[in-house]
Amino acid sequence: MTILDIIIQQITNGLILGSFYSLVALGYSMVYGIIKLLNFAHGDIYMVGAFVGFILLSFFSTFLGDGWLGILPSMILAMTAVGFLGVIIQRIAYRPLLSAPRLSILITAVGVSLVLFNSVMFVTIGEYKAFPSGLGYEGITMGHVHITYTQMVMVGATAVLMIALHLFIAKTIYGKAMRAISIDMDACRLMGIDVNKIIALTFFVGSALAAAAGVMAGVYYGSIHFFMGFVIGLKAFTAAVIGGIGSIPGAMLGGLLLGLLESFGTQLPWIGTEWKDVFAFGLLILLLVFKPTGILGRTEIERM
Amino acid sequence: MVRPIALRDRTLYRTAVIRHGNAKTDGLTPLFQAEEKFVLGETTTQRRKNMKRIGLLLTMTALAALLAAGTAAAEIKVGIMVPTTGSEATYGKDMENAIKMAVDEINAKGGVLGQKFTTFTGDDGCDPQMATAAASKIVSASVDAVVGGYCSGATLPTLKIYSDAAVPIVIPAANSTKFIDLNPGNAFLINSIGTYQVETAVGLFKKLGVKKIAIVHQGDGYSEDLASLTQKEWTKLGNEVVAFEVVNKGEQDHSALVTRIKSKAPELVFWTAYYADGALIIKQLRQGGFTGKIAVGDGSTDAKLMEIAGKAAEGVYALANPLPEFLGEGQKFIDAYKAKFKTSPGPYSALSYDGMYLLADAIKRAGSTDKKKVTAALKATQDFKGLSGPVTFTDKNLLSRSNFVVLVVKDGKFILAK
Repeated sequence: MTILDIIIQQITNGLILGSFYSLVALGYSMVYGIIKLLNFAHGDIYMVGAFVGFILLSFFSTFLGDGWLGILPSMILAMTAVGFLGVIIQRIAYRPLLSAPRLSILITAVGVSLVLFNSVMFVTIGEYKAFPSGLGYEGITMGHVHITYTQMVMVGATAVLMIALHLFIAKTIYGKAMRAISIDMDACRLMGIDVNKIIALTFFVGSALAAAAGVMAGVYYGSIHFFMGFVIGLKAFTAAVIGGIGSIPGAMLGGLLLGLLESFGTQLPWIGTEWKDVFAFGLLILLLVFKPTGILGRTEIERM
Repeated sequence: MVRPIALRDRTLYRTAVIRHGNAKTDGLTPLFQAEEKFVLGETTTQRRKNMKRIGLLLTMTALAALLAAGTAAAEIKVGIMVPTTGSEATYGKDMENAIKMAVDEINAKGGVLGQKFTTFTGDDGCDPQMATAAASKIVSASVDAVVGGYCSGATLPTLKIYSDAAVPIVIPAANSTKFIDLNPGNAFLINSIGTYQVETAVGLFKKLGVKKIAIVHQGDGYSEDLASLTQKEWTKLGNEVVAFEVVNKGEQDHSALVTRIKSKAPELVFWTAYYADGALIIKQLRQGGFTGKIAVGDGSTDAKLMEIAGKAAEGVYALANPLPEFLGEGQKFIDAYKAKFKTSPGPYSALSYDGMYLLADAIKRAGSTDKKKVTAALKATQDFKGLSGPVTFTDKNLLSRSNFVVLVVKDGKFILAK
């Protein structure tokens, strides 16, 4: 492989990895933007999404096949189901604490995370589950660079979801309400916006995106387990911070950047692939020290 | 185990009640009160009844002792030390079953030296403390020899207890390299110790005719040992290890690793850790267009590997302990085992079965059940034909050669590689 081959291959790898990070990071950023909560259960939502997708695809694959025809409805239904799970979590665990100190709600989020992954561990007896998708490795080969069609569809699907989200936030009345709440929740309430409904909607969208990432990860990697949400949760959080937490384009950008950085960082000859996480979290620390607002983040104005 | 205080009280109370014949069952009367009643309330008839009971008990004990003494001369007692409780209980049970099956077969053929075998099981719970207790129990049951030992950590501290009592022990499963130095001379390992796998692995690579290999491990003691020992042996032969990589446990995306490996163009990738991550790496290697050969260590030899990796697992070479389904006489063993226990044998059943037969063979050769003679006979074992291959011991009482087998994945199943 020439240097150019490696670069092209790593850009592909980085984009795939970055797609997963971005989709999960969006949920972090949206929730933070609207209620200033770091939803640490978000990684586990991604994991639950993968498991719901697993169950649905096991069902659909019996009559729709285990190709894209079976995966698409599984993904859409998993997104919907997990979206509602997000709303329920928000209703039970977060809404009663909205006016409590931020720390209480943060700890609750950690608790929700524990509940989610322990329940899945209990149900699956901690086993790895093989995702029942039957996608092949066919793709385009250019010299030593090999890109499968599955990888292209993954990146494409992420792009579609992101564009849809952008249009939703920028063009619809609900998106406008979300943006308004992120600026001043009390003013919104006074203006007659149903704040609780919009917050629930935010959780729905964020959770659905995480579920989409979870199902795609299951399809792409082929195995899922109850702890898969932990590392990606932290990585997505890092991505959200890189992009500027609270900013939606920031989350997209941060995820892709982090994916690319991990892919390229581990190709340096004297650094092995086991240093991947060191790159991600090292960058997080540097960023928090030198530019805590992230690339696209706004400087927070303290309101008294 | 410490029983809860209330329970202990209840037992004390009950014995007290029985002793003075007052069958008061409601609630928990404190002990001292019961004793008080015993002193004050006992009548002559009650005392006579008690005497009768004691007499009966004595007769029965004497009878039992006689029975025991009568049979002891014609029986060889074998201790079985396996975990029958705790996380490893299934494996322990599989081993115990196989040993008992061998004992039944030998007894059906008339036993050895005209004597039949009996067994005595001690539960080591895969825990060093429980294991030493189990070993003491087994030794005080005056066994002639022991077959057992699944967890290395639990088996190691028991060796001294057995050696103090001069009891020989045949170990079918435990295979830590620590046995080399800590063996007092009475323990015989019929499973290959971990490092033997390197021998089998290097043999496989040579046979496949590759020169440049990549080795990937997971950073834990077991897989790192296997990886670095393989690297050492492989380079010693004048071959090349072009990549020596570590991955983090539980990592899902190995695309960076795949690119790195591909850029070094090895002819074979050797994964030394477990199936869950191994399957992902195999899948992503194939996804990334790697066309060379792939081999995995015994930690990955699991049906889940094929389930997760799917088509990518085809043609992958896997090292394994001698599982009965891949052995010549294995099928007969599996059928007999299934017929007897209504379940499939576990991964160490065949070795346990072999261990019992080896012990019987050694006692036959020793011509007596004298523990020293049996130990010497075990040591002198030459090409004992077990299910899992011939057994000959080195001067460290380890197998003289690796009993690892090479499997290959074909149509989603492991088969013995040609």
